[in-house]
Amino acid sequence: MIRLLKCEYLKTRHCFIFPTAFAITAICLCWCLYGDVDDEIIKYGWRMFLYQFPLVNAIFLPLLSMVIASRLCNLEHKGKMQKLLCCMEKRGKLFDAKLLYGLGIITVCVVLMWAVTVIFGVVNRFLGPFPIKLYLLYFIFTLIPTVVIYIFQHTLSMLFKNQAIAFFTGIIGEFIGIFSMFLPSLPFLRRMVLWGYYGVLQFVGLFGWTKESRYENAYFDLMPIDWTFFCVLICAGILLYLIGRYLFCKKEV
Amino acid sequence: MFFKMLKAERMKLKRSPIWIAFVLMPIVPAFLGTVNYLGNIEILQSEWYSLWTQHTLFTCYFFLPIMIGIYCSYIMHEEENNRNWNKVLTMPQGRNMIFISKLIMAGSMILLSELWIGALFVISGKIVGLTSPVPWDKILIWCGFGTLGGLVMASIQLLISLFIKNFALPIAIALGGGLSGLMFLAKGFGHIWPYSLMAYGMNSNAPQKIYESGYLPFLVICVIYIILCSAFASLIIKKRDI
Repeated sequence: MIRLLKCEYLKTRHCFIFPTAFAITAICLCWCLYGDVDDEIIKYGWRMFLYQFPLVNAIFLPLLSMVIASRLCNLEHKGKMQKLLCCMEKRGKLFDAKLLYGLGIITVCVVLMWAVTVIFGVVNRFLGPFPIKLYLLYFIFTLIPTVVIYIFQHTLSMLFKNQAIAFFTGIIGEFIGIFSMFLPSLPFLRRMVLWGYYGVLQFVGLFGWTKESRYENAYFDLMPIDWTFFCVLICAGILLYLIGRYLFCKKEV
Repeated sequence: MFFKMLKAERMKLKRSPIWIAFVLMPIVPAFLGTVNYLGNIEILQSEWYSLWTQHTLFTCYFFLPIMIGIYCSYIMHEEENNRNWNKVLTMPQGRNMIFISKLIMAGSMILLSELWIGALFVISGKIVGLTSPVPWDKILIWCGFGTLGGLVMASIQLLISLFIKNFALPIAIALGGGLSGLMFLAKGFGHIWPYSLMAYGMNSNAPQKIYESGYLPFLVICVIYIILCSAFASLIIKKRDI
């Protein structure tokens, strides 16, 4: 496997995959952190970020997954390399190596985003101690949906030569996911699609907001974590991986 | 000859499933935007205008730019495959028409999407039970200007795809462009930034805004962008070595 991963690295040299991933991460961070840091942010910053960032993650991380999966898989489609590779190595292993390599890039980006967020809070001296437990949970609840979405995108990009199919499927899913976060009255909607799980696993809510007083009496508080659907998401990820791997192994290249 | 080129472009896209996305994608904001409108009907009191913002807000900033990015990338990628550029550039016609024919194809898809968005908007309004008459004239203007703004975006995306040979990178740039569009619109430069023009033309966040500045500046800016991009791309294609 190490040899295959090294091959993946060599194939992607000079392809600007890492700069692309970091550029998307940088845009996401700018989007999140740009603006004046006022008293409100310093007072509620730690929890405010945990409330706001899942939505931004739902916009950027599925797109990051789409782009990286497509770039990695399209290398083989473009060079018509699949037939050659499948003669040299077991198909399952090829699928796994590419998946692992892509997941590595995605994980680095998620860690980077998380670390910059924490550093931003510390540098700006957000009030109260750094809630490490909550932020570790946030990290897990960001990483796991991204990994599952990446597995889905990877499968599509490996199976279809036409990368537009993977992109369009991803974009429509992402669209439903983002919209579902604005419709808390329809909780089943966000649970139905992979892209909605950033919202399902959001555990900080805004309370006290009314149409009359708006943000005057509003505050951020913890909400119960939906562990059942966290398990459902992990199961969905495993199932997608198994189905994707099976389909790739059976596919005519 | 030009019509033959258009026909050839259409034939290249025949049996391609990407039109399905343009049909399916507007259904999502139409359905969810309407549900959101019903959930916040006490705040959103401008009837058709409020419903329009719910339908188009996210579509203009995030999803249509990405969809246009994918579409343009796909159209250009067709030529990258199997060394098709060699065949296209040796055809007996002016090279400057290649970019324009591709832009017209992208424009026709954007126009169809806009009309579909408009149709879904009217259907949603009727289902919701809006009592005021349907603002047909404004819907046509929003869709028409949205198409024009979309054409600007498409011409830039086609130009980017002409330079960048891979499929995914121009799409990431389209997302960045869409977000920058939101930023420029918020800063008051929505009428000049190419990635804001579609949202500006469709009046996705303030349905009355465009009428204050009038239609002419918007039209002129869009046309200038399209001409500049087409001229630059034609120059690149002309100089390109097969």
